[in-house]
Amino acid sequence: MIQALFYKEWIKTRWFLLVALLTIIGVTGYCILRVYRAGELNGMDHLWLVMLTRGVTFVELLQYLPLAIGGLLALVQFVPEMQKSCLKLTLHLPHSALATTYSMLLWGTLFLTLCFCISSGLLYGYLHTVFTTELWQQSLFTTFPWFLAGYMAYFLTSAICLEPTWKRRIGYCMMSLVLLHLFFLNHTAQAYNPLLPFLILLTLLTATFPWLSVLRFKAGCQD
Amino acid sequence: MEPIIQCKNLTHYYGKRLIYKDLNFSVPQGRILGLLGKNGTGKTTTINILSGYLQPQAGECKIFGEDITKMSPIMRKEIGLLIEGHVQYQFMNLQEIERFYAAFYLGKWKKEAYYALLEKLKVAPKQRISRMSCGQRSQVALGLILAQDPSLLILDDFSLGLDPGYRRLFVDYLREYATAENKTVFLTSHIIQDMERLVDDCILMDYGKILLQMPVDELLQTIRRYTMHIPEQQGIPQIAHHSLYHPNVLGNTLEFFSFLSLKEVQQELTKQNYYFTHLKAEKVGLEDAFIGLTGKY
Repeated sequence: MIQALFYKEWIKTRWFLLVALLTIIGVTGYCILRVYRAGELNGMDHLWLVMLTRGVTFVELLQYLPLAIGGLLALVQFVPEMQKSCLKLTLHLPHSALATTYSMLLWGTLFLTLCFCISSGLLYGYLHTVFTTELWQQSLFTTFPWFLAGYMAYFLTSAICLEPTWKRRIGYCMMSLVLLHLFFLNHTAQAYNPLLPFLILLTLLTATFPWLSVLRFKAGCQD
Repeated sequence: MEPIIQCKNLTHYYGKRLIYKDLNFSVPQGRILGLLGKNGTGKTTTINILSGYLQPQAGECKIFGEDITKMSPIMRKEIGLLIEGHVQYQFMNLQEIERFYAAFYLGKWKKEAYYALLEKLKVAPKQRISRMSCGQRSQVALGLILAQDPSLLILDDFSLGLDPGYRRLFVDYLREYATAENKTVFLTSHIIQDMERLVDDCILMDYGKILLQMPVDELLQTIRRYTMHIPEQQGIPQIAHHSLYHPNVLGNTLEFFSFLSLKEVQQELTKQNYYFTHLKAEKVGLEDAFIGLTGKY
């Protein structure tokens, strides 16, 4: 049954997945190209110095991309479910509503993980050949909170889409702005390292919100 | 035998607006029951409660003896649900949607029933549902329900958006299937003529309550439209309200509906010294009976 639900999600999202994958590969590739070009022009010694003294990471272009991919993926997945209350069909399937909801979310989470792993993999693949461990880790660790923001944007946008009332949708939107803003308060490299466990917990907490929206949908809540 | 659907003391409000209070009804196995009512009387509310998408403020509903608020996946397997407007996944094509649903009804899924119905539409298996007309979509939705082969079908306003041809096709197919397979059907429609061809029993809903529940044949055998000529400004006779439905004076003609026989009406009016001539009783169809019992307004 999970396979069938994945099949449905695949049909909904396949074009978006392709575009999102190409975009993240393209932007990551461009970041790598920038490092390569800067190294060619100024020499790797200079890059090391700049990274150490000024905290440059060369991955700034990736900052808001996971957020955008997470949010858009949730829209692509759940807006069609809410059109003419199609979600009623999904929840009427002979499968637990909780398992159905989280199977759909699992699809999105797996895809985001794939995107982020590819991006991190590409960065690691190149950066570890030209930088010391401390320097390539500096770049990679800086991207982690952004990827976490991608997951959180996905869960929160899903909750907003699945929520049956506009009042609460607006409330969720405002809460989402505040929560997501937390990931972009400080632009210093690795500034979020000590906070990562807290941010992971917060992201996991937001994964429960779509289920709350589904429960309200099932209870027939209306504006 | 225990009824397939049993609702007791259902009460629901939207905000402060009462939809109904202490609603009781049951649907026996193998019957096709139509829920009739004007807009806003709570038909869709009832369907939503029955399909588990609305928590009533009070009362309980049981399907197959199980509380619907705790509807198990096994129970849902036995309920075919048609959402108002024949909603289906617009992003799928005909083949994809069949493949998707089949995975949930392994060992029970009747693929042939779905494709047999689609054959009549003359559409390609790769046709996307979003590019189909409402009539074609209705056949897709019906085909999927037939393939699911549930014991109970809950259909919300199945005639919405359908032209007469598709309505007839839907009604005939459904009638034949439900009768042959001894299925129980609970449905609503705003087109009463369709109900007359399809349903065995009907529930007539008025604002806040059930007006009556009875077999359609019995209703049509007993309800009469009475017309008579009366002197101008005589007014409406004071017969007990439950015997005389929605009296209406137009010019010098009084019209009302009643379950009383011609003789009983005559006796009642004479008892009140009510002057009338040309008293006439007519049998009516379901639509007229519906309007007669619920009123035009």
